[in-house]
Amino acid sequence: MAMKALDIYKHLPKTNCKKCGYPTCLAFAMKLAVGKAEVEACPDLDPDTKSLLGGVTRPPVRLVTIGAGERSIAVGEEFVLFRHEKTFYHPPGIMVQVSDTWPEDEVRSVVETVKETVVQRVGQDLVVNGVAVKYESNRPERFAATVALAGGGSTLPLVLIASDPAAFEAGLAVAGHYRPLVHAATEENWEGLAALTKRYGCPLAVRAAGPAELASLAGKCAEAGTPDLVLDPAPSSLAGFIATATEIRRSAIGRTEPALGYPLYLDAGAFGKTDAALAAGILKYAGIIVTPPLASASREAALTLRQNIYTDPQKPIQVTPGIYPINEPGPDAPILLTVNFSLTYFTLLGYLEASRIPCYLFIADTEGLSVLTAVAGGKLTETLVADSLKKFGVADLVDHRLLVIPGYAAPLSGKIEDATGWKVLVGPRDAADLPGYLEKEWKA
Amino acid sequence: MTEQSDEGLTIREVRLGATREEGGTREVSYVIGGERDLPFSGDGAGRPLVALEICDDPRFWPPVVRDYVGDLANDTAEWARAAERTYGADLVRLNFTSTKQRGFDAFDAIAATTEEVLAATARPLIVEGSNEPELDSEVFRRCGEAGEGERLLLGTAEADRYRSVAAAALAYGHAVIAQSPIDVNLAKQLNILLRETGVPQDRIVIDPYAGALGYGFEYSYSVMERIRLAALSGDADLAMPMICAPTDTLSVREVREAAPADQEAMAVAWEFYTAYAAIVAGASIVCVRHPLTVERLKAALEG
Ligand code: B12
Ligand code: SF4
Repeated sequence: MAMKALDIYKHLPKTNCKKCGYPTCLAFAMKLAVGKAEVEACPDLDPDTKSLLGGVTRPPVRLVTIGAGERSIAVGEEFVLFRHEKTFYHPPGIMVQVSDTWPEDEVRSVVETVKETVVQRVGQDLVVNGVAVKYESNRPERFAATVALAGGGSTLPLVLIASDPAAFEAGLAVAGHYRPLVHAATEENWEGLAALTKRYGCPLAVRAAGPAELASLAGKCAEAGTPDLVLDPAPSSLAGFIATATEIRRSAIGRTEPALGYPLYLDAGAFGKTDAALAAGILKYAGIIVTPPLASASREAALTLRQNIYTDPQKPIQVTPGIYPINEPGPDAPILLTVNFSLTYFTLLGYLEASRIPCYLFIADTEGLSVLTAVAGGKLTETLVADSLKKFGVADLVDHRLLVIPGYAAPLSGKIEDATGWKVLVGPRDAADLPGYLEKEWKA
Repeated sequence: MTEQSDEGLTIREVRLGATREEGGTREVSYVIGGERDLPFSGDGAGRPLVALEICDDPRFWPPVVRDYVGDLANDTAEWARAAERTYGADLVRLNFTSTKQRGFDAFDAIAATTEEVLAATARPLIVEGSNEPELDSEVFRRCGEAGEGERLLLGTAEADRYRSVAAAALAYGHAVIAQSPIDVNLAKQLNILLRETGVPQDRIVIDPYAGALGYGFEYSYSVMERIRLAALSGDADLAMPMICAPTDTLSVREVREAAPADQEAMAVAWEFYTAYAAIVAGASIVCVRHPLTVERLKAALEG
């Protein structure tokens, strides 16, 4: 189990010499306890203490980086089994699989799509992360050529999927310096592959059916000098993946089996139900998901689910409260009251920008709650509106005293008028109807 | 059935529908619940059920579904029949959207439609009664009575709106959907209220309220996990099966504003990802509106 800061502190030299970069041993202990510092940073620990503390303070799931440069991804370093216990930190990398038997054009088109497609939601850019190249041609040079076609790892992170050592040699000769994930070491071939990935410093996936087998194989590969591992439990069904992944993650979090403390790998194409597998991987602990090329609807839904599951449950995605000019408003432009929940802001922004109507969005601090939720939870109140009007100097921007409020805030309209002295206009409930409403109703 | 095991509680079993032997006319009845572990972990439960939602007034229904089902939308009974026979739904969820219109008073139609839909279907039926608090008592009485003996799953009870549903369920032998806004404690409180009203524990299905994917679903997902974990660790007031019905899914921007050629695929993908994730979080029944989503979910749950 994880150790508390005070227990860790007992093992430290207590000299407060600051060589670790922290002002005191206790401060260092507190960072260690939450997995945010490395034991190695303290030079004055004897090896036994180091390995004792190392074992209990490193993140229960190792952070593994795949790829190099801007689009590289880091997966793992998770601390909980359920997102409500804290949050999930590192969304799984979704890698689209191509085969080295495909025509060049087909490979190129998949790679382009992965590279260029960005789904924008609530101010975040969501992307499919990389490309997985599968060796099916039986010709190592053909594999290498396809790896090169996929960018060789210099633009997008890659997974190299093969079983033949000659194919890996050829593939890594092209992409080896860009940290591709090599898939997969098995009980039969692990020695050769571990040596190869050690030479290139690449992450390695190990594949075995069942947690015990995986732990033993991972242990051997780590020992052989490849610390960055990913575990493929070789599931025979999707239900099997969910069950095994849960078991593995539970042992890792509980630190009952350190050799299981690595991100997991899922081949979403293996069961003939890609969408379900993508969803299951996102929800249940996959770090790397390899998928056949996705239709746009599946891609958008999967990326949205991943975004949902990997947001902090304690902290909705928020925008800074304030007054936001849209479409170059003048002194007669409407003031539109809303909340600081990102989803609300970006939804409104989309419609308002498209409408070209000049206006001010007046965003009150509802601690990231949506309009309806803030009204129901008492976070959007007439006092908040009155205070925010003053704080953001709204009166100085316009020469009218009219405030448009969201339809769902209608119950507050009278109170807001009383508290602010502004005349309140109740707008529509749905943001889609706002431009039409402003065109018809707005005159300052 | 509240079997107490060493590790914790078993989720209560709730029967839906009644066969002839059970006093109804259904060809099958379903038992949901019975889980002893997390979903897909050899939890002891059967396959989750996929319900196709239909309604009695298609004006209040997503255009992308109306386009797909065509004329069926104007014949509730035929729509229900197709839901089971053509689209392969495990059961139908009948929504009385007609009660949304101003000045609604067609209570006889509520009873008649319930009877017609029961006659057109062979499996258990979920009935989503009134959309308007003032109509609750009459609407629930009428559909409850029309389905007497059939062990309907009647919805929806909420903390400030549960007496009429509960009364109809008690009078005519139905089960009840208990909905609370994404909160473990509120879910628990409502179950206690229903218990105090006399609704047996094995006739309650929890609806933790599902926001659409990208529009609050992350909260719904986690609250379902929390409810299930609380139940498995011994909280009897939360040890009921769950239903997930993200009613806003087909009106989110991604679906509404998709290019016409993509709209259907988007609708199905959005429903599928939401429903499948709800199943992973512990839902026993997922409700969807697009017929093609039913097929996809059933394929995903096989094997
Ligand atoms: C996710 C969610 C939550 C999350 C919060 C997420 C968040 N960051 O806000 C959590 C789980 C925390 C939550 C809590 C609660 N919730 Co809640 N929640 C939802 C849910 C499912 C989605 C909300 C959402 O994201 N909407 C999307 C955003 C974009 O909508 P929006 O901000 O309203 O913006 C739209 C419009 O208002 C409009 N608009 C916005 N700004 C403006 C400005 C102008 C000028 C105009 C014209 C229009 C406009 O445009 C937008 C797009 O159309 C809704 C159900 C629903 N479908 O709305 C329930 C819902 C809002 N919640 C509800 C309730 C009761 C609660 C709680 C009180 C329950 C409790 N536990 O006590 C708490 C209150 C919070 C608190 N304790 O302070 C009820 C409200 C009932 C009511 N009608 O009053 C709802 C409707 C669910 C239900 N049917 O029971 N909730
Ligand atoms: S380096 Fe070691 S001894 Fe020095 S302050 Fe940090 S923890 Fe304490």
